[in-house]
Amino acid sequence: MMPEIDVMPGNKAVAHGVRLARVEVIPVFPITPQTTIVEYIASFIADGELDAEYIHSEGEHSCLGMAVGASLAGARTFTATCSQGLAYMHEVVAQAVSYRTPIVMAVANRVLGWYWSIGPDYSDVMPEWNLGWVVNFVESNQEALDMTLQLYKVAEDKRISLPAMLNLDGFYLSYSQERVEIPDQEAVDGWLPPYEAIHPVDPTVSDSWPSALIPPALHTTYRRKYEEVLQDSREVIEEVGRSFHETFGRRYGDLAEEYRCEDADSLMVTMGSMTTAARRVVDRLRSQGEKIGLLKLRFMRPFPANELRALAGQVDSIGVVDRVVLHGTGGGGVFTDVKAALYNLDERPPIMNFIAGMGGDDISIDDLYGMGKKVLRTSKTGRMDREVEFIEHKVPPSPEPVKIEWDNPLYPGSAGCAGCGSSIILRRMLKVLGSDTVVVIPPCCGTINYPSVSKVPFVLANYAAAAAFETGFYRAYRKKGKADKIYLTSYSGDGGTVDIGLQAISAAAERGESIMWICYDNEAYMNTGIQRSSSTPMFAFTTSTPVGEVWKGKPQRRKNMVLIMAAHRIPYIATASLAYLPDLERKIRRAAEVTREGKGFAYVHIQQPCAVGWYFPPEKTVEVGRLAVQTGAWPLLEVEDGSLKVNVKPRELRPIGEYLKLQRRFRHLSEEQIQVVQKEVSSDWESWLHLEKMGRLPWY
Amino acid sequence: MSEAESKEVKGMILYRGERHGGQNVANWRIFRPEIDEDKCVKCGLCAQYCPEGAVTLDEDGKPQIDMRFCKGCGVCANECPQEAIDMVKEGR
Repeated sequence: MMPEIDVMPGNKAVAHGVRLARVEVIPVFPITPQTTIVEYIASFIADGELDAEYIHSEGEHSCLGMAVGASLAGARTFTATCSQGLAYMHEVVAQAVSYRTPIVMAVANRVLGWYWSIGPDYSDVMPEWNLGWVVNFVESNQEALDMTLQLYKVAEDKRISLPAMLNLDGFYLSYSQERVEIPDQEAVDGWLPPYEAIHPVDPTVSDSWPSALIPPALHTTYRRKYEEVLQDSREVIEEVGRSFHETFGRRYGDLAEEYRCEDADSLMVTMGSMTTAARRVVDRLRSQGEKIGLLKLRFMRPFPANELRALAGQVDSIGVVDRVVLHGTGGGGVFTDVKAALYNLDERPPIMNFIAGMGGDDISIDDLYGMGKKVLRTSKTGRMDREVEFIEHKVPPSPEPVKIEWDNPLYPGSAGCAGCGSSIILRRMLKVLGSDTVVVIPPCCGTINYPSVSKVPFVLANYAAAAAFETGFYRAYRKKGKADKIYLTSYSGDGGTVDIGLQAISAAAERGESIMWICYDNEAYMNTGIQRSSSTPMFAFTTSTPVGEVWKGKPQRRKNMVLIMAAHRIPYIATASLAYLPDLERKIRRAAEVTREGKGFAYVHIQQPCAVGWYFPPEKTVEVGRLAVQTGAWPLLEVEDGSLKVNVKPRELRPIGEYLKLQRRFRHLSEEQIQVVQKEVSSDWESWLHLEKMGRLPWY
Repeated sequence: MSEAESKEVKGMILYRGERHGGQNVANWRIFRPEIDEDKCVKCGLCAQYCPEGAVTLDEDGKPQIDMRFCKGCGVCANECPQEAIDMVKEGR
């Protein structure tokens, strides 16, 4: 059969690789610019094109933990992440090595947040590449698909049995469309047999399992052995590359690929997507009669030291283009490794370092041309002007803000979507709290849209740690006698509250920190493009619970956060709605009072209808919110010192269909399913009324 | 860019606390709200619900829309109990 040809972004190419490899277990957590990989995979599963266990994890630490567990149990496993998510996985990244789990993980490279950006550099993978994984970088979308398949064959080879990381530059590859040939499933099946774990943790078939515990005296020995295994993987990588070539007709070179290196006296070293631009520069310089070549490092681990040494004797200078700084060394990460690889040679050329493309800054052909010229000059003179050079660009001018007189700490003219419900909530929240407020905000839509129009500090906190950031602020203010002068609150989405942030929230609530937690709940991960959270209601379509032949939206009911927080016996808990603003304002004021009096943790959970993610026209934002309350889908509640009150009690709840039918995320629901939701909503409503009658929740 | 580098600490990025206002977002609009003053009863709901804060009430309680900040979402028109706000296509 002829392979299919299509035009697709790099993330889709990776997803096709995962489908063709018939991966069995896929834990996921959304993060830009990786997310569409796991969205494409979700739609393959939803449509019945891939039969795999897909796990919606609550954060990356758990996500890779799930992958290690699944791989230990003997399943072919895939996951994907980048940036902050990869950093959050860090300890599990090391664990995956000691267990020798042949997981393949795609990393759609993005800067790790010393300054935040969603653009690519290799600061995310740099701290991880020394931990023992096979670490590959691809240049094109075709290579991304092909290497997904090849890395499984390498990782699962009995001689290796190590996890492998596939790095593709965020945006430049993850979202850029290229022509990709999709191999035939039968051909892939013939080439990549199902994974058979050598020592699965499965007492029904095996009586020995991989262990992570050894005495200290053995550590050095086993580090030596791992290093030998990783060095031996070169051979397997080369073998797999050759056999892939024989079967599928495409070849990318071994650990590194030489481009026009024959008779070269000068060499540029690149990685990833910048290589394509560097090839054009080499072509141009060659056409001018310059003898310059290019070495593309395809693997960072094992490091292609032999390939570099082979060329080092031939060239008079080397220029390394680095998309990562190794802070404290004065230069880049690849540069340091290249120097180290060549140091013990008798003769070695001068090595220059160009640090470029941080945080997604473009590395243009002109930039690379300038670098090539400098390498050539060093070859001719034998001297370099500078060992390390940062290739910097001017910031394009941005428009000045419109200056107006304004009382509310939140100005108009934000970057939020037209009709954004979060904007209504935040404006009210800051109106109540005033200017002496510190807002701790984990990554969410609000982080992108509102700090730039706010008079009060918005402190961006790491996703899982926003309640911890707040606790730190609170304790410092308390120590300095200022706890009653500054309002401290989160402004967090549902992901940062009900999923990844819950551990820190629970801990702060139990310790009785006098801080506010204000959650605006748009019932999915909207900032990364509508993936389900544990606050997404049952049956809703999201991009990670799509509707297809097999899947019909989210199968589970949402978490009951009011009762989870009530289990902590905190002094104040409330739900609120943007359609009931006086009620919302009163609740935020009450939460503020409770914390100012030092009584403990105050929790306000506000439903935020989202036109984009719930698929309704933007003018309906408030109308949808009102219907949520009037149908009982979002009851307005308050728990003060253990006494639960239902604040808005319609004489009769309106039928749930009125609410669901306004939103296209529910348009696939059958009448029976609507009745299932109706039953659930009615029974929840009765439960709240029952709890209200109890007077005080008995465990308070 | 709303950020600036600290004058005291090299390389430290500061959020500029002294900024005065947001961006002009008028060009986002496809439909613009037009208030029929005869129908308006000055209930103020449009100002309450405007996500952008683009609607304010003047001394008489009459709503004023700052068109520099109106994104044309139509929430005001949808919520107006008097149906006093029309969404009119821009360019007409």
